[in-house]
Amino acid sequence: MNSLIRFLTRYQYVLLFLLLEGISLWLLAENGYYQRAFFGSFARNISGFVYSQTDKLDQYLELRQSNLNLAAENIALRNDIARLSYALNEYEHSPRIDSLNGVKYQFVKAKLVNNSVNKQHNFITLNVGKKHGIEPEMGVISHNGIVGIVASVSENYCTVISLLNIDLKISAKLQKTGYFGSLYWNGIDYRQVVLSDIPQHVQLTEGDTVVTSGYSAIFPPNIPLGVVGEISNSGGNFFTVKVNLISDFKRLDYVTVIKNLQDEERFNLEKADKNG
Amino acid sequence: MVKDYSKYIILFITLVAVQLLVLNNIQFSGYVNPFVYVLFILLLPYKISGWALLLLAFVTGLSIDAFNNTIGMHSSATLFMAFIRPYVLSRFASRENSDRTGIPNLANNGINWFIQYTILMVFIHHFALFYLEAFSFSHFFVTLGRTLLSTLFSSAVIILSQFFVFRN
Repeated sequence: MNSLIRFLTRYQYVLLFLLLEGISLWLLAENGYYQRAFFGSFARNISGFVYSQTDKLDQYLELRQSNLNLAAENIALRNDIARLSYALNEYEHSPRIDSLNGVKYQFVKAKLVNNSVNKQHNFITLNVGKKHGIEPEMGVISHNGIVGIVASVSENYCTVISLLNIDLKISAKLQKTGYFGSLYWNGIDYRQVVLSDIPQHVQLTEGDTVVTSGYSAIFPPNIPLGVVGEISNSGGNFFTVKVNLISDFKRLDYVTVIKNLQDEERFNLEKADKNG
Repeated sequence: MVKDYSKYIILFITLVAVQLLVLNNIQFSGYVNPFVYVLFILLLPYKISGWALLLLAFVTGLSIDAFNNTIGMHSSATLFMAFIRPYVLSRFASRENSDRTGIPNLANNGINWFIQYTILMVFIHHFALFYLEAFSFSHFFVTLGRTLLSTLFSSAVIILSQFFVFRN
């Protein structure tokens, strides 16, 4: 017993270090990046407030750029309206067949209050939360591509797992041929992501557009993400393709959160298949 | 004595606030991420007891973690750096301050000593931090590049801050 106490007092510094380091590494390893987002729910309410205050300053500095983006988006929407009103006209004058296909997605506008691109696991904080109907696992897009997926929500804020997070994989396809693969970030360059699992017989050229596949229920199909850059052979029968992102994650400002209104129906159907 | 405590509390709050509000927003090309809050550990007194040093490092790291969504990452790296601090200090015994009282700052030890001390300690911290963050050696040299560039930048900020702010 005495020798044990002597041992403990002699090496107390090293032992305390090992204990605390053990706790830290356990916290680091135990919490996945989803769960870790929950861990900070206390801090998020404080930091969300602080960040939204400092962000008011940033807004002025970015006004010019966001005006340009809004103008561009306006034009795109106007074009859509012109096209849709034509289609509506056609539809109204054609015989009705069914009224099942209702609205599938609902959009919520949100503003970034915090963002990073320099870590391996980047997160974004938005100024919308439970109050605005936001729930975890909703998709977030900007006017030119995907931003990420909502991780956790508090009353007024939510955190988003950025596309620039090495743990996030989304389903994407080549617009021209329709072949799909999984799209993820390799943690090196914030302007570039990787599209893997494209079979080798597919004809690929640099500059092809990559869009969302719509298989995941989180994002609607055919949102443009980026263009094909360097193509390399990953061994096996698949290409690994570098994709240059259209959106600049350093300049994100206003984004759109997507609510999938038929999500539950689809989820229940797929669950029933799995159980059966 | 009380004055010393309040000085460290103010230093702690200032460094955490500067880190979160200013430095976390600096992102040159994704390679330079300065972490200057480690200055708090660097400036603790020579005579501080081991358990206090480690506990303060743990708390400092955790408070940065809580705001960065990185529970465990900064605390591991800061703890590791604090653990090595006594060995570094005994290695780097300076001639100007051989009785080793007071705090290991620039005013007490001279510019050369402080630059070496800062760069070595910051490098240890950043090395642990960036490799924990990447959690693999697969992009070894990319991570090493981030470590070196960020070390230089953080050290520069820390050394400059000694001239302008903490002249006590």
